[in-house]
Amino acid sequence: MQKYFAIFKVTLLNNLAYPAELLGRSLMILPFMWIFHQLWRVTFAAAGQESINGLTVASTLWYLLLAETIELSRPRLGYAISDAVKDGSIAYLLTKPYDFLLYHYSSALSETLLKGIFNFLVGGALVWFLVGAPPNPLGWLPVAITVLGAWTLNFCISALIGLSAFVVEDISAFQWVYQKLAFIFGGLLIPLDFYPAWLQNIARALPFSSILYGPARLFVEPSLSAFLSTLGMQLGWIFALSLVLAFAYRRSLAYLTINGG
Amino acid sequence: MNTLKFLLALWKANLQSVMEYRASFLTQMLGMILNNSIYFLVWVIFFERFDNVNGWGIGDMYVTFGIAASAFGLVSLLFGNTFNLGDIITRGRLDYYLSLPKPVLLHALASRSTASGLGDFAYGYLSLAASGLMTPQSALRFTLATLLAAVVFASFLILVQSLAFWMGSSNSLVNIATNAMITFAIYPITLFDNTAKVILFTLIPAALMGALPASFTISFQWQTLGQLFLGAVLFLGLAILVFQAGLRRYESGSGIQVEV
Repeated sequence: MQKYFAIFKVTLLNNLAYPAELLGRSLMILPFMWIFHQLWRVTFAAAGQESINGLTVASTLWYLLLAETIELSRPRLGYAISDAVKDGSIAYLLTKPYDFLLYHYSSALSETLLKGIFNFLVGGALVWFLVGAPPNPLGWLPVAITVLGAWTLNFCISALIGLSAFVVEDISAFQWVYQKLAFIFGGLLIPLDFYPAWLQNIARALPFSSILYGPARLFVEPSLSAFLSTLGMQLGWIFALSLVLAFAYRRSLAYLTINGG
Repeated sequence: MNTLKFLLALWKANLQSVMEYRASFLTQMLGMILNNSIYFLVWVIFFERFDNVNGWGIGDMYVTFGIAASAFGLVSLLFGNTFNLGDIITRGRLDYYLSLPKPVLLHALASRSTASGLGDFAYGYLSLAASGLMTPQSALRFTLATLLAAVVFASFLILVQSLAFWMGSSNSLVNIATNAMITFAIYPITLFDNTAKVILFTLIPAALMGALPASFTISFQWQTLGQLFLGAVLFLGLAILVFQAGLRRYESGSGIQVEV
């Protein structure tokens, strides 16, 4: 474990070396949060209701902030793995005394964590200004645990997409489709609560809702039962996808041919 | 005429280059159509639940989203380096274009094609068809509106990327500006108050890439067409001026490069 923690720490320090760059990238969340505020302010006013399906304008905005934080902070891991496969640098990594997937997990988590903190602080400042104070901070610890689960689950899916580079030339299409499925079934732009019941049922049964909707909904309405249900779903998906990932990784290595160098 | 011939030759070479890997080309093109279709489902779900946003309905959204996608696709397909111009400037890669007897900006921008751009471009027409507003006349208006929207979008990118002449690496700013332009272009214009609308016609001209061309596609009005032309001419002129001003400050390590 120590070596993976060291990888985590080195990546963290690397990224911390350029705080202005981190801050600059975090500003990306501002136009999104501002336009969401416009959209939901007008929509709630047109509906003539203070609260729709248990969400107000303020709670919808805080929900969207956390969902956006999770989405914007996750690294483009699929491309990192696919590049390593395509340019052959995977051969260099495989000779090192660590597991290829755990190496990427430690490094990705470190980068994600920093981006997440910056995105949340920058976006949160704007949302606070627009709609008022965030939800009760007492619920933040369970939310942080589920956000970690969300990023781990995202890692499993992204790594699977990255490994597909062993069999296809270009993984872009898979990346796009995964991202958009996460948008729709994860409730990134519209909370799942506003979906028709049949679509909510489908979305809740898929892993995408455990990545975005679960943690974001818990953030605005914290409860022990919501925490346990979100975490339970995440662990179930992480377990299932880890098995698929381990299998795909072993199969992928069978395709690999390294010629000297 | 010579410039047009040169452009056509460049585009032909680019197309041959991206089509060298047929499977990858098709995957990217079809993947992008699928990507946009899935993304648009968000609006289908939204308007199923909330009907309209200050009078802006799903039909308007199909056309707006379609125009923005086609304009984006056209720029990435024909002038793919518009997205990398800042990098080209900061890395001194303009040297290559400066050393040849062709218009520097045009040559640099058209030297790259992104295969997925064809998917974006085609998706726009599918979106127009899905709106139920497709007629031969509206398809023609859509095509003209897309061309003008693409000019505005490309000009905006040139303006933002040209900041690299003064600021050096400006990747974060470019990313924010590009994302803001695309995001604001695909949201209903009726969301915004007058101050925001002024910004969307000037500082971040997203209204000229989404709402206004969509309005022209839905119903022909000379005034809207005039606004679109004026916007495209002004932004393109400004972009060329700023690029030329930046070019006078350009310096590099005179590295010898081979463009492949």
